[in-house]
Amino acid sequence: MANKTSLYDTHVRLGGRMVDFAGWELPVQYTSAIDEHMAVRTNAGLFDISHMGEFSVKGKGSAAFLAKLIPTSLSKLTDGKGMYSCICNKDGGIIDDLFIFRIADDDFYLVVNAGTREKDFKWFKSNLDSGVSLEDLSDITAKIDIQGPSSKNILEKVFPRAGLDSLERFHFTYSDFMGRRVMISNTGYTGEAGYELFINPQECVKLWDILLEKGKPESLIPCGLAARDSLRLEACYSLYGHELNEQVNPVEASLSWIVNSDEKYIASDILVNAKKEGAARKIVCLEIRDKGIPREGYRVEYEGSDIGHVTSGGYSPVMKKGIAMALVKSGTVKTGSDADIIIRDKKVGATVVKRPFYSYHG
Amino acid sequence: MDAKKGKEVRDGFMYTDKHEWVKPDKDLKTALCGITDFAQNSLGDIVFVELSSSILDSSIKKSDVIAVVESAKAASDVYSPVSGQVLELNTVIEDTPDTVNKSPYDDGWFVKIELSASDELKKLMTPDQYREFLASGG
Repeated sequence: MANKTSLYDTHVRLGGRMVDFAGWELPVQYTSAIDEHMAVRTNAGLFDISHMGEFSVKGKGSAAFLAKLIPTSLSKLTDGKGMYSCICNKDGGIIDDLFIFRIADDDFYLVVNAGTREKDFKWFKSNLDSGVSLEDLSDITAKIDIQGPSSKNILEKVFPRAGLDSLERFHFTYSDFMGRRVMISNTGYTGEAGYELFINPQECVKLWDILLEKGKPESLIPCGLAARDSLRLEACYSLYGHELNEQVNPVEASLSWIVNSDEKYIASDILVNAKKEGAARKIVCLEIRDKGIPREGYRVEYEGSDIGHVTSGGYSPVMKKGIAMALVKSGTVKTGSDADIIIRDKKVGATVVKRPFYSYHG
Repeated sequence: MDAKKGKEVRDGFMYTDKHEWVKPDKDLKTALCGITDFAQNSLGDIVFVELSSSILDSSIKKSDVIAVVESAKAASDVYSPVSGQVLELNTVIEDTPDTVNKSPYDDGWFVKIELSASDELKKLMTPDQYREFLASGG
């Protein structure tokens, strides 16, 4: 039986087409995946992201504990700020990617993927240091993302005193909704300006309805998983289970920029070396030149030789063509190279383009 | 939400349980084939249609693949609801794939076939049978 978020009945009432995603029943779309995608690019969209996991790591030694598990330096993280990172196994393979928010120097809030939540928790637990407490808050946390250029205007109507004007990118703050604390972070997974709201599941339903109502003048609409996926693909954000898995290290996944810690951490030797020497594989962006939609698993060829496979592919509503991220052998293609994607036994021409397809519009 | 969305069933057409339709001419010699309103609505935004170019002017059997349709989310095969010689491919839907979403029974047809086994039509669903099929969960 798939889990239901507190917004399940709301999605059904709004005409959401429910599907199973990482063990959760969530709407893949309400009316049109393309309209929902474009709503986020032009106005604003509302997403139920309650399936994702949230952990609390606190107590003396929390920072040292996290530093032991992630390749990213915690030194730039200040109170009220978050950063993207990942946890790796001893071979450098990615166990999960995650967001780490620093509440205080010994108090952190982690956001992990739904499908890896239990695995992640076990990993943190098995590496836990004394004095550090680890708690899974996922069951008492719902999450709504509001994304798109109008997000701030809409959110200000509901949280007029949250100080959104001074909330910079990757920073978070707390506000109040019906007597409950809400965490608001200036973050997202769409390539568009936007916020993520962490709230108790009971109040979440009310917050969702009020946001939709207050967002009407700005054409805010509910958006499903299909739009979330095409938005993150245009922005070239990795998705666990696609670009990232335990057989790929962050350097190969073209996430070298999060490998910057000077500390000794799990797989640090492997990752530091990979960053210095260069990885054997890398993620590249491909754009179909004519027609065709690349999908995950399709092979990629260059000058007649197989060089890798598509990790995520689909139709870009902004570019109006097929786009893909692909994991390929290093030293084969570079920006501007003409490659082929094998779609249903046919070679379809694709050009390697600069990452990302769609640059962050803040 | 529009309760009628994806529910239109046209009279004068025949239907398969894979949500394809056949519209035979009066003397049952040729027929247009396509996918139903229910099918286009289930697929969602259609962003790419590839008609099997090799089938033009050749004989195909019922259930042969005549096209691949890609929606925003996935690729799906479309099967021929009848056997016969393929007379025409509707390339309009390759150039503007959303024609299938907007007009599944008119401009969004897929192929025109010269029927080689018109008795196959008897095994397809009538509009009423197809309505019942949809009502029972398709």
